Amino acid sequence: MGSVVLVVRLVLADVRRHKAQALMLLLAVAVATATMALGLSLRGVSDALYEQTRAATAGPDVVALSGDTGPDVTAALTALADAPEVVAHHGPYRIVYADLTTRDSISSPVVVHGFAETPGAVNRPLVTSGRWVRNGGTVLERGFATALGVGVGDRVTIAGRSYPVVGIAVTAATSIYPWAAQIGPGGGPSDYTGLAWMTRSDAWALASAQDLPVTTALDLKLRDPARTEAFREAHPVSTVRVTFHSWQFKAQQDMVILRNSRPILVVGGWLLSFLAVTGVAALAAGRAVEQTRRAGLLKAVGATPGLVATVLLTEYLALALAGGALGLTIARLTAPVIASPTASRIGDAAGLTGATVATATVLAVAVAVLSTLRPTLRAMRTATVTALTVTAHRPRHRPWLTALSALLPTPLLLGLRLTARRPGRAVLQACSTATTVIAIVALLAIHVQPERGYGLGDSSALPNLRGEQDRLLMLTVTSLLIALAVVNTITLTWTIAMEARANMAIARTLGATPGQVSAGLSTAQLLPSLPGAVLGVPLGLGLLSLFSARNAVDPPLSWMLGAALATLLATAALTALPARLAARRSVAQTLSAEH
Amino acid sequence: MNVVVRVRGLVKEHGQGQSRVRAVDAVDLEVPQGQTLAVMGPSGCGKSTLLHLLGGLERPTDGEVWLAGRRVDTLTERALARLRRRSIGFVFQAFHLVEELSAAENVELPALLAGCSRREARRRAGDLLERVGLTARARHLPSELSGGQRQRVAIARALVNEPLVVLADEPTGNLDTAATLDVLRIFEDLRAEGQTLVIVTHDERVAASADRLVSMRDGMFVDDTRLAGTGTGWLGGLIGLEG
Amino acid sequence: MQDAVLAMLAKEPSHGYGLRARLRQSLGPLGESMNPGQIYVTLARLEKAGLVVSERAHGLPERPERKVYALTPAGQERVAAWLIEVDWPKPDLAEFHLKLVAAAATRLADPVELVAAQRRELLRRLREAQHALLAEPAGSPAALLLEGIVLRLQADLRWLAACEQAWSKVDREAEDA
Repeated sequence: MGSVVLVVRLVLADVRRHKAQALMLLLAVAVATATMALGLSLRGVSDALYEQTRAATAGPDVVALSGDTGPDVTAALTALADAPEVVAHHGPYRIVYADLTTRDSISSPVVVHGFAETPGAVNRPLVTSGRWVRNGGTVLERGFATALGVGVGDRVTIAGRSYPVVGIAVTAATSIYPWAAQIGPGGGPSDYTGLAWMTRSDAWALASAQDLPVTTALDLKLRDPARTEAFREAHPVSTVRVTFHSWQFKAQQDMVILRNSRPILVVGGWLLSFLAVTGVAALAAGRAVEQTRRAGLLKAVGATPGLVATVLLTEYLALALAGGALGLTIARLTAPVIASPTASRIGDAAGLTGATVATATVLAVAVAVLSTLRPTLRAMRTATVTALTVTAHRPRHRPWLTALSALLPTPLLLGLRLTARRPGRAVLQACSTATTVIAIVALLAIHVQPERGYGLGDSSALPNLRGEQDRLLMLTVTSLLIALAVVNTITLTWTIAMEARANMAIARTLGATPGQVSAGLSTAQLLPSLPGAVLGVPLGLGLLSLFSARNAVDPPLSWMLGAALATLLATAALTALPARLAARRSVAQTLSAEH
Repeated sequence: MNVVVRVRGLVKEHGQGQSRVRAVDAVDLEVPQGQTLAVMGPSGCGKSTLLHLLGGLERPTDGEVWLAGRRVDTLTERALARLRRRSIGFVFQAFHLVEELSAAENVELPALLAGCSRREARRRAGDLLERVGLTARARHLPSELSGGQRQRVAIARALVNEPLVVLADEPTGNLDTAATLDVLRIFEDLRAEGQTLVIVTHDERVAASADRLVSMRDGMFVDDTRLAGTGTGWLGGLIGLEG
Repeated sequence: MQDAVLAMLAKEPSHGYGLRARLRQSLGPLGESMNPGQIYVTLARLEKAGLVVSERAHGLPERPERKVYALTPAGQERVAAWLIEVDWPKPDLAEFHLKLVAAAATRLADPVELVAAQRRELLRRLREAQHALLAEPAGSPAALLLEGIVLRLQADLRWLAACEQAWSKVDREAEDA
């Protein structure tokens, strides 16, 4: 019990003394776990939203679609409705293929479903604003209406006729916008299409007046909703071509828009975790001397190595777990928005699954343990007396580096020697830079992918929502990665500056100018960044090729090299500030402090 | 005789407000070319601060510092750095060698900073290490050297650019008797060659080896004694066979 | 010094000039002022006291510097006793201390000034001893003696520093009063 009190007291005292570092650890872990948890929970949330929409709109278990119309089709579909597994049905109803134009002259393909003014037992679209269809008025599907920027009371032109929008509704009977068409005219492929409802007579009038393509659909409710596949197999329709869309298929279709979101978030989560590890490791390394001394003190007053390790680890673990919890909360709150980029689904995200929570927790613990393992082990192993008198660990001699640096100008020489002194830091910096470049390459790649707009004739008046979503997520993830990398670079530079201050002060007494000293410190960071930036480009392309479509376009080489160069320049700029601050310290003070 | 170091009304204050302390209080000093000057005093008397002011490591609150006829307290950091490179050699109590550089590389460092060629820097470092008796240790890291050896490396480093003046801050403070003697022997050689030296110390032996001794108390000079050329010949008279 | 000369003869009989050379080697610069005659005066006294005997080297005219001196049994005993004798020169600081007290009491002189003057003198001596020490080749026996003198002077100087501090405090208090 006493040792628990001691551990808690020591941990709290340390957190109070290093607030900024504690906050950084917390935020880094939160960002990484949020991204990761979001990526992992997208499917579940998307399914949950579909499920909730389905429940609210009496969504059909199976939609039978025929690319044609006429008595044969009606007969074949009606026969299906009489099947013993069917407990309820809606239709057959007409689907008219037309163009819709808003008053802002945005045009899009649209399918018009001809519905009764009183909805039936199956496929009862949920009106979210306005009212249900009546003659002369149309109801727009919410995802479509949102993309068009149209609300109740606006007028839209469908196939040349003007209709007032009397309501906005959602349905689980079709895929989300822009995949409302499900099949094209005659059963062929479909374009990006929105959904509108009209009364049966209006739909009929529209189709016949303009001689528009029409298909037929039938919504079915099964006794056992799970047996959609069995139903399809049990009822082969031979007379006409009928396509069956099960509710499972539609739920699956909802994920199409998230196809890239998942890898962006999951891979982004890994990269963020990686940066969090490097950043926290840099912090931990910077405090290693202090921690080792503290461990020595604890041992001197009789603490066991186990207790010492507990104190050191508890702090990081507690902060990482708090960060993990924060990240999960963020993921939980943002998941419905991210998982449903269109407004076609309603409902709230279900709670995070146990697997997601477990993964996020493991991630947080891994960040804490991986980044503090070395200092903790060192603190445990170092003999008590050595720990108490430790100032910095002894450098190792690297003759080849010495020989190499002898050929360089003075700032480079100082920088290279500093790099050589801390190979671990150099690796961290290289990894940090490589990760940043990977993210930027991915961002560039996403931006150069060709994409079709959702408007009429692939017009980009209606933006490609999936592309938008991908770009937004990529931009967010990249920004987070860059932010962490920036913090890492500053932390690393500052740590090195603090550790090298004695040497830098000596160099000053020997006549090195502050400029040379800060250039040396910057160089110490830039040198490992260089291979990091160079490696980042092929690594980024490699990572992309794992997830991107076969016809994906690589961004131009000049862009990627430019990105690598810009990263290096940014690193140089970032290191300049702490390096300059460190170089400005009074030489006399530094030297007397080192006595 | 040329005056190498000249100080007029030098004042240095540390701290702010109530806790303001005058570490150096209106000090005047002239050190002619070739003189070895020792500054003695209890710890905290301001002697190290004086040395830092002379070497441009700190800036005076008031007063002037002249080095070889050039006023240096008004120079920019950059210009001061250049000046240190060519005109000043520092020797510290804690040696202050760059731990990751070998002995020879430490000695080369100021030469390289001053723009010497690698070859020239290596030659000078070789000569100086030979002079301080460390040729065999040239490739060792400071951590592999004894305190006395480290201080000899530091002295060699201070000399590599043939400075106008060598400023030594408690050069024997961390050394045992034998190592102190080694350092004193090197200083004695430097004196013989006409190297100007300013040594801050609380070691009477080091102080007595100087040509001139200034005693400092509370930031001020309280005594200025010429030691050189005043041989008393008392040593020979110490021992007689009678009795 | 007589004991030292006796002890040098304990190993083997020697000429007077041999003894002098060995003494000078051991004493370094401290033995410089020893004139050649002194050793013979000492030897003559020792001979008179029955501690050494001299023997003329043959074939040469009878001159003191040609005599070979050797220990008598009494001399041997004296040497043995001298070697085990525990004795140490007394630190003689009382006189200077009393001088300072007197100066302060009579106000005839400033004790701080006296200390400073004494300090300057001791520093000059230290400088001389140190120079002599540095001039000695490595491993010379005289270096060790010089080192002892240097350390003694150093100790004295530290004592003077303490005196200076104490007497300036007395001074200040007197001024304040």
